[in-house]
Amino acid sequence: MIGPIISSGLVSSAWDNVFAVFLGMGFGFALESSGFSSSRKIIGTFFGYDFVVVKVFFTAAIVASLGLLYLSYMGLVDYSLLYIQPTFITSAIVGGIIMGIGFAMGGFCPGTSVCAAAVGRIDGLVFFGGMFIGVFLFSEAFPLFENMYYSGSLGPKMINSVFGISPELFTFLLVLMAIGMFYGAGWVQGKVKKIDY
Amino acid sequence: MEKKYTILSVILVILALGLVILPGKNERKEADPKILLGSIVEKSRYLSVDQITHRIIENDPTLLLIDLRPADQFKTFALPGAINIQPDSLLSKSIVDLFTQPGKDKVLYANADLISEQGWLMCTRYSLTRIYIMKGGLNEWYNTIIQTQVVKPTASSTDLDLVSFRNAARMYFTGAGNTPEARPTASTGEKIEVSRKAPAAKSGGGC
Repeated sequence: MIGPIISSGLVSSAWDNVFAVFLGMGFGFALESSGFSSSRKIIGTFFGYDFVVVKVFFTAAIVASLGLLYLSYMGLVDYSLLYIQPTFITSAIVGGIIMGIGFAMGGFCPGTSVCAAAVGRIDGLVFFGGMFIGVFLFSEAFPLFENMYYSGSLGPKMINSVFGISPELFTFLLVLMAIGMFYGAGWVQGKVKKIDY
Repeated sequence: MEKKYTILSVILVILALGLVILPGKNERKEADPKILLGSIVEKSRYLSVDQITHRIIENDPTLLLIDLRPADQFKTFALPGAINIQPDSLLSKSIVDLFTQPGKDKVLYANADLISEQGWLMCTRYSLTRIYIMKGGLNEWYNTIIQTQVVKPTASSTDLDLVSFRNAARMYFTGAGNTPEARPTASTGEKIEVSRKAPAAKSGGGC
């Protein structure tokens, strides 16, 4: 586990896998109970008839940000011990485009496809299998992509530092943005023809 | 939108606004003396010059090198990617903000260890985390990585690998070619003394 619980020495790193299993189960349960195992529900974001994906992810982001900053303020979490995935801007853009196309075509992202496969959905199983074929091909052809993969290294970059504002102010703006999006999505959904699925 | 969602939205905005208007956290707390003493005794703050060199070559984005030497020395030579901070400004607000950014290992170095140790102690005392020292400083880095090394004929394969890595690193930093003396070959100047056992007495008979 890469959070501050193990980094702070409160829990041994030997618990990594135990945490991973329970967090994975919790994540899978949350995805399934939000309806994320249905590709038609997920694809609704692109057609404007169902915005549950955006709503769930935005809610998760703002709740996690608020929780983390309050816990840090109260001295319960050492913010500086967080592991931040380094940013490789070129591969992030290229990967984002590929993932976006795959998301729109297949109706799943990697996590939700596992969830759909676990409940026995055929489209989920096909997507899941395709994902592994893609991983295999990418691994085999990695030397061809290696330079691009590692280019544009920005280190562990935080978006608030890019704008030169504090994490607290950024979170406040993010919450306003999320609420605006919730209302906007509701308005768009009202205008688009309902689809039964 | 349903009333419950409106209420939830209002709660979220209030919580987020609270973060912005809450008074800033006071100066960083001083570390507990027991914890500080424990940190001083244990040696995990040291990173070897080989470890640092490896991370520089790998372009490790989590590495932040802090050069504590005077500015004129820093201008003359510094490790790639290092930033120059004077020891007396280590705890200024902008530097503390730099030191508290998540995901970075801050590695202090100077010419030797003394100034880095002082800097490390100041930072650790003020509860800054992930602060390390490049053991031996720039002098050790120069002696280990830039200076050519001769391998003993009896060197183990691990030592040979290490010297190979150092030679490759030397080429990386200086652009020097792989000169014969830079290759991790056993030196021929040193003669190995071979002591031979006296032959055992011949057996008198046999089957």
